[in-house]
Amino acid sequence: MNKKTWSKMILLVLICSMVLTACAGNQQSQGTSDASGDKVKPDGKPATWIADRKIKGLIFMGSDVVEEMNPEVMKKLKEMTGIELELQATGFDSSQKALAAGLAAGDLPDFIGYYLNHSGRPEMEMINKAAREGMFYDLAPYLKNTKIYSKYFEDGYLPIDTKYGVMFRPEFNGAAYVVHINLTREPGYGVNKYVTGPYIRKDIADALGVDPRKITTTEQLYELVKKIKAGGFKDNNGKGVYPIGPIIWGGGDRPSLYNDLVWSGFNGEGFKRDASGKILHESQTEYGLKRVEFVQKLLKEGLMHPEYYTMEETRAKEGILNNSFAIIGEMHNYVDENKDNRYIPIGPINSVDGPYQMQLTYKSGYGAWSIPKTTENPEDIVKLADFLASREGKLLWEYGLEGRDYDLDAKGNPVPKKEVLDLLEKDPVSAKKLGFGGVGNSWGWYLGGTDFYDLEDFGEAGFGANQKPDQNKGPLEIAKYWSYDEKRSQAKVKDGYAALAFIGEFSKGSQLTMALDKYKESIIRAYYAKNMTEAKTILDAAAKQLQTAGLEDYIKLLEEKDKDPKTQLLF
Amino acid sequence: MDLKLSAAPARGRKTGESTEGRHRLRNRLIRHYQLYLMLLPCIVFFIIFSYIPMGGLILAFKDYQFNQGIFGSPWVGLTYFEMFFQDPLSLQIIKNTLIISAMKVFLAMPFPILLALMFHEIKRKKMQSLFQGIAYLPHFLSWVIVIGLVQRVLAPDTGLVNQVIAWLGGDGSTFFLMEERAFYPVLFWSYIWKDIGWSSIIYFAAIVGINPALYEAAKIDGAGRLQNIWHITLPGIRPTILIVFILSLGNILSAGFDQVYLLKTPGNMNLSEILDTYIIYMGLESGQFGFGTALGMMQGVIGLILVLTVNWISRKWFETSIW
Repeated sequence: MNKKTWSKMILLVLICSMVLTACAGNQQSQGTSDASGDKVKPDGKPATWIADRKIKGLIFMGSDVVEEMNPEVMKKLKEMTGIELELQATGFDSSQKALAAGLAAGDLPDFIGYYLNHSGRPEMEMINKAAREGMFYDLAPYLKNTKIYSKYFEDGYLPIDTKYGVMFRPEFNGAAYVVHINLTREPGYGVNKYVTGPYIRKDIADALGVDPRKITTTEQLYELVKKIKAGGFKDNNGKGVYPIGPIIWGGGDRPSLYNDLVWSGFNGEGFKRDASGKILHESQTEYGLKRVEFVQKLLKEGLMHPEYYTMEETRAKEGILNNSFAIIGEMHNYVDENKDNRYIPIGPINSVDGPYQMQLTYKSGYGAWSIPKTTENPEDIVKLADFLASREGKLLWEYGLEGRDYDLDAKGNPVPKKEVLDLLEKDPVSAKKLGFGGVGNSWGWYLGGTDFYDLEDFGEAGFGANQKPDQNKGPLEIAKYWSYDEKRSQAKVKDGYAALAFIGEFSKGSQLTMALDKYKESIIRAYYAKNMTEAKTILDAAAKQLQTAGLEDYIKLLEEKDKDPKTQLLF
Repeated sequence: MDLKLSAAPARGRKTGESTEGRHRLRNRLIRHYQLYLMLLPCIVFFIIFSYIPMGGLILAFKDYQFNQGIFGSPWVGLTYFEMFFQDPLSLQIIKNTLIISAMKVFLAMPFPILLALMFHEIKRKKMQSLFQGIAYLPHFLSWVIVIGLVQRVLAPDTGLVNQVIAWLGGDGSTFFLMEERAFYPVLFWSYIWKDIGWSSIIYFAAIVGINPALYEAAKIDGAGRLQNIWHITLPGIRPTILIVFILSLGNILSAGFDQVYLLKTPGNMNLSEILDTYIIYMGLESGQFGFGTALGMMQGVIGLILVLTVNWISRKWFETSIW
């Protein structure tokens, strides 16, 4: 071969290797560039650039909000988008009251965030009132021009309530003053296998030779707790246990302990259809009284903790840690207090319709944001929200900084650093200061927490799940014990409106809301009544108050709404 | 003509009087300017934080619109007052409020007076200061802490009271806070425990201000301690008692939100729903600011009418009044 041929050969090899390198590195570099925003616009700014400005947000979510930002993470956000983000929390125990006060004051920053799980939540009516009075921007035109939020306009992406109840309400003719967040990309997507309900101490169940999964009725539960009482079981301090202790989150009346005696409806609001298809509230059925009779029996025979409905969370948890309760009224398998699985699930108890069936909503939102009319260039905030909802945005606020908090694997997925995971385990407070969602500071969620599919985006169910597969070993063992997957496969998935979603447009809405609250309080009062006659008097008075507050008319409204496919009910 | 002539001096006298009055006021201001300067911050404080916000009461007659503010929102007349009185709960709420307020205003009134008298009877200064300190302390605890203590003391099975009942051979499982009959006693005694010391300060100060010569004279006349209290101390502090009583009437429709809210359980729900809790629920939580303002205004106006009436009665009968 002459020199010319050699030169051509070398040139060919060089070209081939360059092409191969480019191809081979394509997948990885995509992740890298996504993470760091290395793609550049013609003017030298990264492709993720929005504007050089400061954006302030006021979040009405009480103590859930972390105001403190990590300077390095914020610097990265600034580099990528030009935005300096500042979050303010209302620091108020009741986010609803704070929102009311905030709207009334009118002095709002660039955007506001608030709780909103469905359109029946009280915040919705306040926001609607503000929107009607021209306080917020219509965000629909801006959202249409985004990468992620534009999915909200695709058929089937939004659940019915989010679409017609929260975002594109018919009264606003296509305008969107509220942006609902925390939606999943796929219907029914969930990474955790929650098993919620009453739990029993495993050693007690074993000692009595009982399989808790076979306790499916309140009669069986009653027989079980009588055996527990007779068994004389002790707690860690050598004191006798209470057969039934309160729910882990402190006093409250939740249906799972006596589900076959609760006219709970699809999501526990107390409205449900009877066998003939007629909508009834629990006050119009015998179930309230039946439940009262059951609870009175438990209380009078010393089978239930007398402070079951009022105990503070700290005392309830202390009792659980001391094993002072044989049965916990309600908890789930991911709570820290049961990491060793010494409590195992009971039942589930049947519903009033028969054997238990898991019920899931198609998708459901959790929070929302709006932009006040006083904000300049609202499109910048929408763009920021869209960036934070994208994979690269989520990578920043869920996983932190590449190199400092995580590395990328060959597929471009983040792998949290061991030292970060160790710090999170040993000192969660210090870890939180690193300033991203994986360590407990989800600052990006308030605008960009939507279109979730971490398994697809990051190859793992949650931050560090792949590196610590044992992290959820206990909960998953319980899920397996409870046959979660089987129950999940047979679940009833429904889409529609909650029963109280229309309370805001009901003329006696405030009175009815108050009467519904009073009914719940009356039920608890009846549990502690001297006898069933007194209990019946209490419940009759509560039912009468509901009638006066317009319960019948509200049910008629629900029937009307259900006829329209755009406002169909969940039940 | 005569009329004109006779009227002219009258006008001149009036003008002369007012000019003289203005002079006197100016002279007083100049002479006591240091005192008026000290008073100035208080006046400014009340103007800014009490009088200017009163303008917001207009909200009680308006349908508040976020974008139009208080003054731009449309008028709705007495709608909110009608709404309240049409609510079947309103009478029950007013009754509950009045009962609790009456307990605090009338029933609780003698206790701090008695305590102040007891403090005055302690002759050793150090002991007196110690007991006063102990009595004042609960005032500085928040209601959250006080009600937490009450809950623990009255808890079924494990609470101190139930332990004592069980020790005496009783049941020991009574859930007092869930019982309607226990609500008023718990509310009253926890209120007394927390505020008796603090409220006694003003009476104690009044007692200390009584001329000691009166006690010395009574001693010479052979009066005992009880006679001293009955004939000298109590008449000596009567103006203070009356003024404190008149002022407390201003809060007759405010039964104290914190304490009642924290003591509220489903068991006492029929007694613990008061105007203050109702305002929070319907006014603030439901975002009905006009409605909440109307009820707040009703509380204030009724309180003011009571204060004015009783002040007038007190001036006429006891020659003691706020002004």
